[in-house]
Amino acid sequence: MTATTATTSQKLKGKDLITAGIFAAIYFCVFMIGQLLSALHPVLWILFPFVIALLAGIPYYLLCAKVQKPGAVFIMGMVTGLIAVLSGQDSVIEGITFLIGCSMAEIIRHATKYSSFKGNMIAYIFFSINAVGSPLPIWLMREKFFAKISTLGMPADYINTLDALASPYMLIVLFAAVIIGAVLGSLIAKGLFNKHFKKAGIV
Amino acid sequence: MDKEMHIDPRTGIILLLLSNIIAFAQSVLWVNGSWVCILALLMFLCGCGRSAAKFLTAYLLLLILQYKLIPVAPKFIATSFSIFVNYSIMMYPCIIIGILMIRKTPLRHFIVALRKWHLSTNFIISFSVALRYFPAIREEKGHIWDAMKLRNIHGLQRMECMVLPMMVSAINTADELSAAAVTRGIENPAPKTSLVELNMSILDWIYIGMGFIFVFLAIYIK
Repeated sequence: MTATTATTSQKLKGKDLITAGIFAAIYFCVFMIGQLLSALHPVLWILFPFVIALLAGIPYYLLCAKVQKPGAVFIMGMVTGLIAVLSGQDSVIEGITFLIGCSMAEIIRHATKYSSFKGNMIAYIFFSINAVGSPLPIWLMREKFFAKISTLGMPADYINTLDALASPYMLIVLFAAVIIGAVLGSLIAKGLFNKHFKKAGIV
Repeated sequence: MDKEMHIDPRTGIILLLLSNIIAFAQSVLWVNGSWVCILALLMFLCGCGRSAAKFLTAYLLLLILQYKLIPVAPKFIATSFSIFVNYSIMMYPCIIIGILMIRKTPLRHFIVALRKWHLSTNFIISFSVALRYFPAIREEKGHIWDAMKLRNIHGLQRMECMVLPMMVSAINTADELSAAAVTRGIENPAPKTSLVELNMSILDWIYIGMGFIFVFLAIYIK
């Protein structure tokens, strides 16, 4: 009897889904901001996932606090991923990294029982893999990628800097940056939670 | 009945995906250009004649910018603008379909289309809420911006003052919206019926066919 009530309360309800949808919209806006910033300099283009991890912590943790059930984070990520792919923001590769990132985050959240900050933080590190699909084509299909952006008429400076930056070594830096960004993003979110959201009675 | 034609939301989604593939396949300019023209024709057929004309003009301006002005512009301006211009030209087909769908497809039709594809209800609810929430974010941003100007807030504090009200209002909206949606039976497990009936017309099939032809062209003509 108790077991059945526990499983029914673990199912996502209308309210949880609406909350996930709203935060998915905000998460997508974070992606738009990141994309605008990345046009400024090639470094920002490569470290795009770092920027996203830094900024997206707040909506992610709010969702985690509001909906402590399986599937919420996955739905939030996948809705954003689908909008990003449909709106032509990103390639299909990004769709795949979204799938990987969201699934991993969901597994970790399940293993850590949804409510602990540490568990959510580890899940957030994996969740930040979502954005890696954006610069990843540089390494996956290097020649094709550079041929493509140069036929597009992108400025030679930008391409050269990008080419010089995008060494295999940089790929390690990228993943390290994702982890650092995710941890920093978590700390920012935690700071804001303690400073404001708890006082406002939201979490 | 009006004389305007309609495209099925499903056609819209398929065309969007195909245009994405075309954009990323990076073919020669005429493939992109003719696909843009064909989509502008679709816009015209669906009763958005004026926007179709506007979009074509803007496309021409972008091309002029790209091939005539940027090569002769000073280096600094060239670097900062060409990425935007490039990206816009590449993504132009997607933008046209996106705008057409926003103008002509009510969210209700869109949801029925997704249901016909048997996507999970959970996903459909979140997805449609997310799409509906974008205008709210923009409005919110404007209000917060004005308030910050009024109170003379500068620097890093602006970030905090932007993020906080945004999040609080997101949570409040979630509460209000779900109260409304639950009253209307969103949690009812019974299969939903709908007044809207979607049918694929000849126009839909013609455009899907053309989409595939252009994907083929984009991949094989370099």
